[in-house]
Amino acid sequence: MSMKEWFKERFPIDYEKFVEINENIFLKEPIPNHMKKWWYCSGAMPLILFMLQVVTGILLSFYFVPSPEMAFESVRHITEEIRMGFWVRGIHRWGSNLMVIALLLHITRVFFTNAYRKPRELNWIVGVMLFLLTLAFAFTGYSLLNNQLAYWATTVGTNMFKQVPVVGGLLLDFLRGGEDVTANTLTRFFMIHVMFLPLTMFLVIAVHIIILRVHGVSEPEGFPKGHYAFYPHHFFKIIILTLFILSVMSALTVIFPPGLGTPADPAQTPLHIKPEWYFFPSYRFLKLVPLLVGIALTTAFVLGFMFWPFIEPIISKDLKVRTKFSYFVGSLTIVFTVGLTVWEMFFA
Amino acid sequence: MAQNENKQSRRDFIRNTTVVGALIIAIGTFLRHAIVYLLPKKKKKTYHKYLVAKKTEMPVNKAKKITLSGKPVYVVRLNEGYKVFSGVCTHLGCIVRWEEQKGRFYCPCHQGVFSKNGQVLSGPPPRPLDEFEVHLEQNLVFIKVEDKMEGPWT
Amino acid sequence: MDSTVKAQQWLIGIFSVLLVVILIIIAGVEMKASKEQKPHIEIDATSAQCINCHQRENVAVKQIDAWKESKHAVMGIGCNECHHAKEGEFDAQRCPKSDFLIARHPTPKDCAECHSQEVAEFANSKHAHQFWLLKNADRAVFENPISTRHGCEECHQVGNLWPDGSVGECDVCHPKHSFSKAVARQPETCGECHLGPDHPQIEMYLESKHGNIFKAKGKDWDMDYSTKNFEPIPIEAPVCVTCHMDGNETQPMTHNVSARLAWESQMTWSYRTVWDEENLGSWEVKRERMEAICASCHAPDFYETYLLTADLVNLQYNEIRRQFVYWTKKLTKNGLIKRLKEDGKFYSNPVLNGWDEDPEHDMYYGWHHEGRRFRFGAEMMAADYTQWHGIWEVQEDLMEVIKWAAEHGDAEAKKIVHSTSPSKFTTYTLYDIPGNAWGIPTYTNTTPYLYNKYPDYWDRIYANVKTAYEKGLLSKKQWDLWEERFENKDHYLGLKYTHTPAVDSTWNFYKARNEYDLKKMKEQVIDLKLPGKPFFKK
Repeated sequence: MSMKEWFKERFPIDYEKFVEINENIFLKEPIPNHMKKWWYCSGAMPLILFMLQVVTGILLSFYFVPSPEMAFESVRHITEEIRMGFWVRGIHRWGSNLMVIALLLHITRVFFTNAYRKPRELNWIVGVMLFLLTLAFAFTGYSLLNNQLAYWATTVGTNMFKQVPVVGGLLLDFLRGGEDVTANTLTRFFMIHVMFLPLTMFLVIAVHIIILRVHGVSEPEGFPKGHYAFYPHHFFKIIILTLFILSVMSALTVIFPPGLGTPADPAQTPLHIKPEWYFFPSYRFLKLVPLLVGIALTTAFVLGFMFWPFIEPIISKDLKVRTKFSYFVGSLTIVFTVGLTVWEMFFA
Repeated sequence: MAQNENKQSRRDFIRNTTVVGALIIAIGTFLRHAIVYLLPKKKKKTYHKYLVAKKTEMPVNKAKKITLSGKPVYVVRLNEGYKVFSGVCTHLGCIVRWEEQKGRFYCPCHQGVFSKNGQVLSGPPPRPLDEFEVHLEQNLVFIKVEDKMEGPWT
Repeated sequence: MDSTVKAQQWLIGIFSVLLVVILIIIAGVEMKASKEQKPHIEIDATSAQCINCHQRENVAVKQIDAWKESKHAVMGIGCNECHHAKEGEFDAQRCPKSDFLIARHPTPKDCAECHSQEVAEFANSKHAHQFWLLKNADRAVFENPISTRHGCEECHQVGNLWPDGSVGECDVCHPKHSFSKAVARQPETCGECHLGPDHPQIEMYLESKHGNIFKAKGKDWDMDYSTKNFEPIPIEAPVCVTCHMDGNETQPMTHNVSARLAWESQMTWSYRTVWDEENLGSWEVKRERMEAICASCHAPDFYETYLLTADLVNLQYNEIRRQFVYWTKKLTKNGLIKRLKEDGKFYSNPVLNGWDEDPEHDMYYGWHHEGRRFRFGAEMMAADYTQWHGIWEVQEDLMEVIKWAAEHGDAEAKKIVHSTSPSKFTTYTLYDIPGNAWGIPTYTNTTPYLYNKYPDYWDRIYANVKTAYEKGLLSKKQWDLWEERFENKDHYLGLKYTHTPAVDSTWNFYKARNEYDLKKMKEQVIDLKLPGKPFFKK
């Protein structure tokens, strides 16, 4: 009896059917012609990066110890003493940054090609959720290092939730696992980072892709109609991207190795404390206005951003006016966020 | 025509093998790095001298008990010189005790008996007591102890 | 096949190779360690008892931290190994919180249990010598006893003679309880005692090129190195112990700081050392030891010339010293100054005959402060100490004595004081060497008065140096070196090159600048007449 038959007996599914489904769903997935342009494949990039984050994240968790005494020391141990440790950590760190960048590019592309419009409104909302999940990943991730920046970012970041009306105090207690930032906060963040968020992310990504597949990719105007199969053209593209992004991140790791900072000191706030760059717009904004107003406006912005596909139709019945208005709002948002980021990065 | 096709397919074959080969090497290198990352670094063991006794405090056929990393260590002065034994029984890891009167080591767990030379006299122990390398200098008895660094990783 | 797919395949190949290359580079990269690794320390049961109690009672806890930094701690040398005591020993003391009998003062005898060679070497060095007690007549006469407790006695603890008969105090240099080699090697450790007006070796060292390199770069040097086994010197410039104690490829490390010294140049007279000749050999053997260290960095031609010049400074000092002795003896004989007496007997040595009269005071300074600086500076590459803190002040001391004698009616002294001859300051004979170790000068040797005025200058010098050699104050090798310089003195003094066109044109350039300077100085200030009147009427 051959191995194959032996196995088939014990795992009796219809293999012909399986191959057929695989072919229909993946290999022969119709890809519209415009996606031969790299710019229109920006959705694959965050997915590749996410997978790499999963791999390097698993590797990091072999050595990371989530306790206030050991967190920093174990990251130092990984970076300085474990063979290839700086590389694994470097890829994880650069991966998080590049993932935010890739998502921003993807969102920009989708927004300015109006791909969120009926019937794809829900997928836009799911996409925005993915972006928020990524930011939550990043925030909990860099808190785990438990250096000065991490400790104070955690302290300040969680304190903001206190301002939420009515449930603020409860939320703070929930996030910190106590009134102050303690060992409980660290284990909580660790669990959120390595269990809760990855699982949620997997599910939401699945929803995102299913919705995408059932609708098909939206096709912008000005491209020849027609489709080509996922394999080999698009499949190769993904491999090339993966190889390229791994090379880039590895090189970045050598040129800009992941830093350590100084261990957390709850008794002393460093003079120059800043969050990671992708939080600069909201950080700068919160410095400009009263805290409660800032939080309210930020929440309003996020909600507006999320439900834009439903807000846009309220503006006008004319599609051209809508487009113009969306472009205007989109451009304004970019100018505003880039402006705040640059301000925080170079002039603060 | 057939020849052309032949040529064409050979070219395809060479390209395919080159590209797939390169890809496999790349994936292999990546995996190699990941495995190296997971495997603990093997360092060459180095040793330093550790003072266990002064000759003047050691009459012949007497043992002195000290503690090293929480485990007892016996320094024995024999006629021929000094021996230093780990106090951990080679049978199942109980702590042997020195019986001054009988001049032997006795393990209470399974009645293992070792001579003052560390040799098994009776009982289940499979091998003599573990020994430390001894260095004598002037009035001093040193043993060789492995170099260790302070910290949670050693 | 689709050509874009083909191109993509190639891209996959190219990026695979790129990734492999980067990953191979990655494998070679190492991150710098940001954390200092400390060796693991086993604390034995006895020490643990001491440490726990000392920490609980808060007695000398920093010493425990220091001990943990020490090599002792790693090697299982705990409290009792050094602080063990037997009943009746001079420093046996019951620990007030336990029944331990402990030694209050571990002495070199205790250290010798392991470091017997170091202790023996030390005991044979001048650090261990009791000279300051043997020659202590000035002590408690000029200075009172309480002032010496934290004065003389603190530094001279280095050679304390203990009730157990051992000599010395190891932790004077190796601070307890880390007993750090690196700290002991710091020049500032030597400088704890070797400083100030009478023996400013630390200042001299820091003035020297050696010291300057140390100041600039020393903070990056690992001073914890070993030279026990004929290793090369690992640091770029020497610190004090490099030359006086450390070994190199040819010299063994020694704790006998006298093993490489050829002079007693701290003494009232400079004489070739005879310290422990039986074991250490003659001064020439000791000098060879020192030269073997110099040879780690320098060529023999340089250090031999350098040291010969320093030797001649030592000999020169003696000739000036002779003048002090001549004048004070004469003044004493003539009843102009008086030695201290007690019960009809002279108190102490004529060298230390009191400080109450100016000539005695000047003579003391001309030896104990300025005279030492003059000689040490020459030996230790400290130009300013040889020059302004040295010979200039020695010379002033001598002139003060002569002036004092003239004021008190001494005819010979009057003659000197009233003389207008430029050679009136040189009432003694001279040593010299043609040129110096640094290079070939040109105009430098055209100025000094003496060898321009006295054509037999170099003949007189020759005779003196030759006599010093014949009397064993210089070695054969040194005499040969001196003679070679003497025979080629036109070269070494640069006289041969002085009036060549190349030198003259440069010389005249600066000469012109100097004239211009002086002219401007005259115009700016000397010729300036202010209209306002002074206030005090003469």
